[in-house]
Amino acid sequence: MNVLILGANGMLGPFVVNALEADHTLRLTDVNDFEDSRHEYFKLDVSDLDAVVDAAEGMDAIVNLSVLRPHRQIAFDVNARGAYNAMEAAVRHSIPRVINTGPHFTIAGPTYEDLDYRIGPDAPSASGTYLYALTKSLGQEISSVFTENHDVHVLTLLFYNFRDPGDHSTDGQDVIPYAVSWEDAGRAFGLALTVGLDTLPSRCEIFYIFTDLPHEKFSNEKAKRILGWQPQDRLEHLWRKGSR
Amino acid sequence: MESSGMELYVKILITGGSFLLPQRLAAALAGAHDVVLTARSELDEDAPGHRFLRSDLGHDDATNELVRGMDVIVHSGESDEDATESERLDVAMRCTYNLLMAAAAERVPCFIYLGSLGILGKYDEDMTITERWRPVPTTDISDVCYHLGEFVCREFGRERKASVVCLRLGDLVWDGVESGEANSSALYFDDAVQAVEKALSAGEHGAGPAARSQALGKPGWNIFHIQSSVPKARFATGAAETHLGYSPAARS
Repeated sequence: MNVLILGANGMLGPFVVNALEADHTLRLTDVNDFEDSRHEYFKLDVSDLDAVVDAAEGMDAIVNLSVLRPHRQIAFDVNARGAYNAMEAAVRHSIPRVINTGPHFTIAGPTYEDLDYRIGPDAPSASGTYLYALTKSLGQEISSVFTENHDVHVLTLLFYNFRDPGDHSTDGQDVIPYAVSWEDAGRAFGLALTVGLDTLPSRCEIFYIFTDLPHEKFSNEKAKRILGWQPQDRLEHLWRKGSR
Repeated sequence: MESSGMELYVKILITGGSFLLPQRLAAALAGAHDVVLTARSELDEDAPGHRFLRSDLGHDDATNELVRGMDVIVHSGESDEDATESERLDVAMRCTYNLLMAAAAERVPCFIYLGSLGILGKYDEDMTITERWRPVPTTDISDVCYHLGEFVCREFGRERKASVVCLRLGDLVWDGVESGEANSSALYFDDAVQAVEKALSAGEHGAGPAARSQALGKPGWNIFHIQSSVPKARFATGAAETHLGYSPAARS
């Protein structure tokens, strides 16, 4: 599969590339320069519609890893308009599959997270007004609107707290109940790229990607059931006292 | 907000000043209220009866200064057909966010978003579409912009950072068009003005925000469908009639 990755040089990008490169031909893009001679690379700004459309030519799937958190103008440019541009590019090139990404509060903002447990990814969006959450939620809404009007599928993988299983500096201090290892996160992309589109409940599906945790604050059941994703790094040393 | 005697006199900021509806609204409301019209571009003509202030609706103090002291903000969800898709999306999302952040910071008590019934246009004509129906916008950029502007407003309403009234407006009909020529979603201008006037005054003759919430139905976020009473009217306006006192003129 020919796969365009937007935002390939962010924090998560290298882990996604590692997970996909054996099975797919990758075209990497990022707003920054980076040295990766193994794959085709375009420097582009995801907020540039024409550039994204051009970069998507000949692709079978688009993986959108682009993200910007604190700067208001750029957060809207990247998180919301970037999602629009990815979807527009998919439609123009008849690319059937887009993998979108974001934080868990793209859906579950404070009105869920502050109150509820076993929160699943299919709840109605309630991001709240926090800039990062709302701009990613807008991007998700844009993606959803495209899938309702065009023959394109969006699989959105939502993350929050990435952890290195080898880091024991905070052992036994508990963990954000939405954590995953970088490697497990990367593996979810391989599954999202290969799951049969005709097996999905709809053209727009959201998955919570975090490891099995005892808190039961959120639920990763859907990712296991539909994608077949199974976390390999339990991160138990972070939340069990005996690990100190 | 002053309520001396029978009439309510409020300070109103109206955005989208380069478009016809906000301009006409400003002119219509100026006689009874202190109206400021704003646009992201300079206007060519004078605006009699009200002030004009250009604003980028940016993330800076200028937007706070613009909204400071206002009783009501009427924010148009219309986007410029001559602008690029990217520019239109930017205004619909980021500028709406900036305006609401400023409104929240400056404690503007009432925010009215002028959306569009077009985001429900995919439903069949024979369906009774009320505010309980899920928006189903097309990917037409105008639809998308109205929808995303509303999406931003909704989150501010959800968090009670602003008291938002979303008026989803029908297809505007200007003077001189007979009702027989209008479509089933038509909204005549005088009915649109009435809806805005009703929304900005809802509950305020009583005892402040609590009375306003009670009049509107819910605190934070309220949607009302607004169209004229034309033959075979497509959208139900009962909620606006009940909670706002909206009373569109009878048209045969």
